[in-house]
Amino acid sequence: MILLESHNVIISDVLSDRFQKASRADIQFVDFDSVRFHISTPESKTVVVLSMSIQCWPDLLKYGARQHLEQQYAGYILPEASTEFEYNVSLAIDLERLPATEEERAELVSHLSLLKRNALAAPFLGAFEEQKQLQANYKDAAGAQQMDLQPTESKGELKVINYRDGEAIFVRASHDRVTVIFSTEFKDETDRIYGRVFLQEFVDARKLQSLQSAPQVTYSNREPPLEIRQIPGLKRSEDVGYVTFILSPRHFANPTQALQTISRIQLFRDYLHYHIKCSKAYMHSRMRFRVAEFLKVLNRAKPENAAPAERKTISGRTFRSR
Amino acid sequence: MSRLPPLVIDNGTGYTKMGFAGNSEPSFVFPTAIATHQTASSSSNTASAQTRSAPASASTNLASKRGIEDLDFFIGDEAIANSRTYQVHYPIRHGMIENWDYMERFWEQCIFKYLRAEPEDHYVLLTEPPLNPPENRENTAEIMFESFNVGGLYIAVQAVLALAASWTSNKVAERTLTGVVIDSGDGVTHTIPVAEGYVIGSSIKHIPIAGRDITSFVQRLLRERGESAAIPPEDQLRVAEKIKEDYTYVCQDIVKEFKKYDADPYRYFARFSGEHSVTQRKYDIDVGYERFLAPEIFFNPEIYSSDFLTPLPEVVDTVIQTSPIDVRRGLYKNIVLSGGSTMFKDFGKRLQRDVKALVDGRIAGSEERSGSHMRSSGVEVNVISHKRQRYAVWYGGSLMASTPEFYNVSHSRADYEEYGPSLVRRFSVFGSAS
Repeated sequence: MILLESHNVIISDVLSDRFQKASRADIQFVDFDSVRFHISTPESKTVVVLSMSIQCWPDLLKYGARQHLEQQYAGYILPEASTEFEYNVSLAIDLERLPATEEERAELVSHLSLLKRNALAAPFLGAFEEQKQLQANYKDAAGAQQMDLQPTESKGELKVINYRDGEAIFVRASHDRVTVIFSTEFKDETDRIYGRVFLQEFVDARKLQSLQSAPQVTYSNREPPLEIRQIPGLKRSEDVGYVTFILSPRHFANPTQALQTISRIQLFRDYLHYHIKCSKAYMHSRMRFRVAEFLKVLNRAKPENAAPAERKTISGRTFRSR
Repeated sequence: MSRLPPLVIDNGTGYTKMGFAGNSEPSFVFPTAIATHQTASSSSNTASAQTRSAPASASTNLASKRGIEDLDFFIGDEAIANSRTYQVHYPIRHGMIENWDYMERFWEQCIFKYLRAEPEDHYVLLTEPPLNPPENRENTAEIMFESFNVGGLYIAVQAVLALAASWTSNKVAERTLTGVVIDSGDGVTHTIPVAEGYVIGSSIKHIPIAGRDITSFVQRLLRERGESAAIPPEDQLRVAEKIKEDYTYVCQDIVKEFKKYDADPYRYFARFSGEHSVTQRKYDIDVGYERFLAPEIFFNPEIYSSDFLTPLPEVVDTVIQTSPIDVRRGLYKNIVLSGGSTMFKDFGKRLQRDVKALVDGRIAGSEERSGSHMRSSGVEVNVISHKRQRYAVWYGGSLMASTPEFYNVSHSRADYEEYGPSLVRRFSVFGSAS
């Protein structure tokens, strides 16, 4: 498994099970980045309520996540007033009014299990839209350039999503690209070093012929990149890293591609940490291998336990060894 | 907002149960199996475990790794499904972790693919069999803290968790961690005495009769009656399993039960109808005496095996009698069932009756020997069965990890950095004071 999956396995498991046979449920679980889910059947067995609480909901609300979800889950989403307590979004699925065919049901399950992806997609989709507008306006500006006017770079609003404590995603659209910046904090010294090596590899990998079309990635440790340097309160310590992705319009040319880009990019932090952990596991297995080899060498180095020469007393008798 | 729920992972020999604390059922139950790619399979385990047949190839294979072979593996049901093209390994044997390389990778996918949790934000509760060597605990702690950077770790003994799970039963008046746990899974049945959260290691007894044996006994009975002619050969094991799970119960008197069946077979014989998995042909078989004979092998093992002949109630009694004298009363009072093979109807009732008969017999004997001068006040025998028996260990873990006290008794990351892996040798028990 190289990439993490973007859907939640528990949601799809539980819902496909409930779609077969209605039964009571009260399950609480989490997803990456402090997202909590709660599947329950508060009123009757046949109405399943799926609630999600997401740490950066106030940020997402600003960028139209609610509207986006309402559009995605029309007919299932509960109005804000009846959202479950302590959660941000609630969906109610009536098991008696499900789509008729198996395929449609499977599709509904997979759509529901992408709830977190869709909630986080709103700011990205907004930025993509913004980029298109800016690009259209910029053409006019290009005309102005001929009249010896300084081309002013037009930039969209900087969207900040504080998806974890002390870590944020910054999204900004400009006329020819969308810049996504992750700030990530390493709690562990070793992790930081692994992370650094890993991210450096990203920069090198792009030099390969086959990966030319990948988005440009830069990594900076400690110092935030210029795009966001003006934001107050950014941490500047040794254990903070900033990863910048530059998405060009071809990465979100059509809706499917845009969604794919979004699913990949929003799991980037978890992807990074997953791979740090995998590399550590790999290193550990190498270490175990090495230790086993050394132990063998040590065992070989033991002197052969040669039978001690028989000792005799002067009278020719032997001692019995016990 | 409050803390994220701890992860509860119970790695058994056969199945891994995992989920989040606070739920009543594990979110995932799948085989503890890992399927690695054949070329990568000659990795370090060959060096440590077996005598290597091709030493050069194994070492170069690892050293020359440039790709991502170490990420190319499956776990659980997917591992079994991919067993044609991949090599399947079982990293746990007899309840203990044998291959740490595979186990580390197994956990990797457990956490990131299935539970989808960032381990740094969560506490983790793992389980261990009784008499797990402390080195194994240390290794586990090393992996959890060093590779996964978990927020905190608690390694609980399975038997203790099973006791905690029994608190849900309404028969339990006080929450005690003293009792005998009868844990019967697929491979082997353990009887484990626990006194105030500590396992009495010297008195543990194993019984080589468990789920798999019941299934094969059912199969044998069907064959002997000639029923199995109707079942396609490849389905026989599955049908026997199904019959074991759906039709069997424990009877109170085996002779009476036979008479009942003979007098009115139409009432007691059940019909099982199956479908051939390939040809879709339907077939019906009668389910007869095996309904009550199958679980009977716990109580009269001589009907099944010729080398193990001690009935379960007797084993339980011996276990308690070999325990320290001051806890015996507590142990008799709290006999707890756990695991899938204790789910038979009336299993607890029968066990309680048989143990009680043994105890009462002994008391009567000693009273008589004292010349009827001494009178015993009697010993209370209680067998507790409850709704969560099947995944009792996991449920107990979920229950304990959802209490606020859990954070006090588990080992935190800061402690680990202070003391190192030897930290987990120290062992603090939950709720023993309450």
